[in-house]
Amino acid sequence: MSLTPTRLLLVDDEPQILRALTPALAAGGYAVETAENAGEALTRMAADPCEAVILDLGLPDMDGKDVIRRIREWSEAPIIVLSARDLESEKIAALDLGADDFVNKPVGVGELLARLRASLRGRDRRFAAQAVASFGELSIDFAMRKVTIEDEEVKLTPREYDLLRTLARHTGRVVTHRQVITAVWGPEAQVDAQFVRVLVAQLRQKIEAEPSRPRILLTEPGVGYRLRVDDER
Amino acid sequence: MKFRVTSAWRYPAAVGFVVTATLVADIFYRMTGSSRLSMIFLLPVLLSAFLLGSGPAYVAGAVSFGTYLFLVDPRYELSFGSPEDFNTLFVFSVVAGLTGLLAGRMRDEAARSRSRAEATEALLDATREFSDASDETFIRERLAQRLSSLVHGPAFVSDEPGVEKPGWRVRPLAAGESELGCAAWSPARGLSSDEAALAEVLVDTGAAAVARARLAAGKTEAETRARTEDLRNALLSSISHDLRTPLAAILASASSLHQFGEQFAPDVRQDLAATIQEEAQRLDTFVANLLNMTRLEAGGLAVQRAAFNLPEVIARTVERRTTAGRHPVLVSTPPDLPEALGDPVLFEQALGNVLENALRYTPAGSPVLIAAATERGGQLCVNVKDEGPGVPPEDIERIFVKFFRSPGTARKPGTGLGLSIARGLMEAMGGQIEARNRQDDTAGLSVTMRLEACP
Repeated sequence: MSLTPTRLLLVDDEPQILRALTPALAAGGYAVETAENAGEALTRMAADPCEAVILDLGLPDMDGKDVIRRIREWSEAPIIVLSARDLESEKIAALDLGADDFVNKPVGVGELLARLRASLRGRDRRFAAQAVASFGELSIDFAMRKVTIEDEEVKLTPREYDLLRTLARHTGRVVTHRQVITAVWGPEAQVDAQFVRVLVAQLRQKIEAEPSRPRILLTEPGVGYRLRVDDER
Repeated sequence: MKFRVTSAWRYPAAVGFVVTATLVADIFYRMTGSSRLSMIFLLPVLLSAFLLGSGPAYVAGAVSFGTYLFLVDPRYELSFGSPEDFNTLFVFSVVAGLTGLLAGRMRDEAARSRSRAEATEALLDATREFSDASDETFIRERLAQRLSSLVHGPAFVSDEPGVEKPGWRVRPLAAGESELGCAAWSPARGLSSDEAALAEVLVDTGAAAVARARLAAGKTEAETRARTEDLRNALLSSISHDLRTPLAAILASASSLHQFGEQFAPDVRQDLAATIQEEAQRLDTFVANLLNMTRLEAGGLAVQRAAFNLPEVIARTVERRTTAGRHPVLVSTPPDLPEALGDPVLFEQALGNVLENALRYTPAGSPVLIAAATERGGQLCVNVKDEGPGVPPEDIERIFVKFFRSPGTARKPGTGLGLSIARGLMEAMGGQIEARNRQDDTAGLSVTMRLEACP
C-alpha cells in the first residue's frame, strides 16, 4: 500500500448505501469521497480526479452509462459498476463503454474490495507496458509471442494467443464477448458468441490445470471473461 | 326484362282503364251521338303506358282496339262501316303502339334508375353502419337483417363455412385469404339479377367489415398484452430495486462489521448497526406493503374497527420512517383531538406510505408538514404537505392508481404502489384519502386522510 491513500469516488443515490460502504472502504485503505448524483460525480472528477470510481448505474439525473462515457473521455481511472440491475445487457453496455468491472447489489465489502484491488492493479500493469506478464505460473512474453507455464512452453494457435493477449492486456478488466470478437476476428467480423466459448475452452485445455475448474481464465456468466489477478480472493 | 316486380295486378289494371274508358265513351256516345271516340280510347293506353309499363300498354291498346271496333258503327259488330273509321283505327293502333313503346321505356328506365339509386343508397347505408361498428357480432347481425329485408325472406350469417341447401343462396364471407364464415339467404320469390348482385355486394361489404373488426380487436388485444407486459416489467424492476437497496445496505454494513469490526471506531460501528436496523425495517415495510396489496386485491384484509389515539400513531409513524434524518418532519396535533375510529395498524401503514412519498419527492433539508385536526362533520383529518414538484392537475386522481407514476418522477425510484395501497387501506377502514396541490405559498403536494372520530 502506498503512503498516500488511493482516492476513491463512491457514487450512489441511496444515502444508506453510501453510509454502509464508506467505513469499510476507508478501512480498506481508501480515501472515500461520495456523490449522490451524476452531476456531482462529474464535477468532482473534473475538479480533483479520484483514482477509482464505484458507480451506481441507476442515478436520478443521468443514466450511469453516460457517466462512464463522460469520464472515459479523459480519464483511465478504474470504474466499477455497482448496480441492482441484473440485466446482462446493461452490464455489457457499461463494460463496452469502458467500465472495468461490475458488482451486483447486494454485495459484501470483501468482494467489492477485492474487485477494486484487482482493477487498480490491472490498471498499473497495463500502464507499466512490460514485455512479459505473468499470472501465477502462467507467463506471456509479448515480444516473442511465447506463453509458458512453469517455464514450459505452451503451443497456442494464433487465435488462442490473440485471445490470451487481449485478456492479459485488459488485466483487471472484464472483457465482453464483443470485445473478444473485435480483438481476435476483427471489428467487422460477424461471429457468434459460441465461437468465443469454443476458443476459450480450447485455450483452457492448454493453460489450466483443471479446465473444468478454471483458476486463470475466469468466466463472467453472460457477460465475458477476465484473467485473474494474483491477489484476488 | 322488368326491374320491378312483375306483379299480376298491372294487367287487370290496364284492362280496368280500358273498361272505364269504354264506359266514358259509351256515355259520351249516348249523349252526343258522336262516333269520334278514338281519342277517348287512346287515354287508357297512355295511362297504362305511363303508370304500368309497356306490357300493360300493349294489352290496353289491343283491348281498346277491339272495344273501339265493337262500339263504332255498326255497333256491337267487330267491323267498321266507313273508310274514315278504318283510317282512324289504323292511326289509333299505330299511335297506341308507339305510345306504349315509348312511355313504357321511359317508365322502365325511370324505375330502373330509381331502383339503382335505392340499391346504391342501401349499400352506402350498410357500408356506413359497418364502418362505424367495431363489434364483429353486431356486424354479422346487421348483415343478416339487411339481407333478409333485401330478399324478403330469411337470411343468416354464420362463422362456419356454409353448405349449399335447396332454396338457399350461400356466399362465403371472405376477405383476402381468410375465410370468415358464410352468409345464406332464402329469397321469398325470384330475385332480379340486380337484386342478386346487390345481395352479394352486401355480403362482401359485410365480410370486409368483419375482417376489419377482427384486425382491430386483435390489435387492441396485442396492445393490452404489451401494456400488461410493460407494467409487469416495471413492477419487477421496481420491486427488485426496492428489495435490493436495503439488502445491499444491510449486507455491506454487516460484512463491514464482520471484516473490520475491530478496526472501526465505536461510532462507526454504531452507525453501521443502525443502518442494518433501519434498512431491515424498511424491508419489512416494503414486504408488508406487498402483502397488503395482495390482500386488498384478494379481499382478504382483516380490518379492525377500534378507537385509537391518532397523535400517538402519527408520532410512531414519523419516528419509524424518518430515521435517515434528511428532512425535518413537523407534526402539529391539537391537544383536544378525539380518538379516531379505525384500524391503527393499517392507518399507520397508510400514513407511512403517504409520508414516504412526501419524503421521497421533497428536496433534502426541506420540511414535511403533518397536521391533524377535527373537521366540521365530526371527522378527523390528517394532512401531509411536502415541498416536492407536485402533480399536474390532470394526474392528481391518478396518483392513487396502482403503478401510476407522475411523468416528472419517473427517474426517482418507486413502484407507484404506495399511494394506491394507502387509498385501499383507508377505504377498507371506512376512511378517505385525497390529494391536491398545495394552495399556500409553497409548491408541493398536500394529501389529506379522513377517519371517523370516536363518538
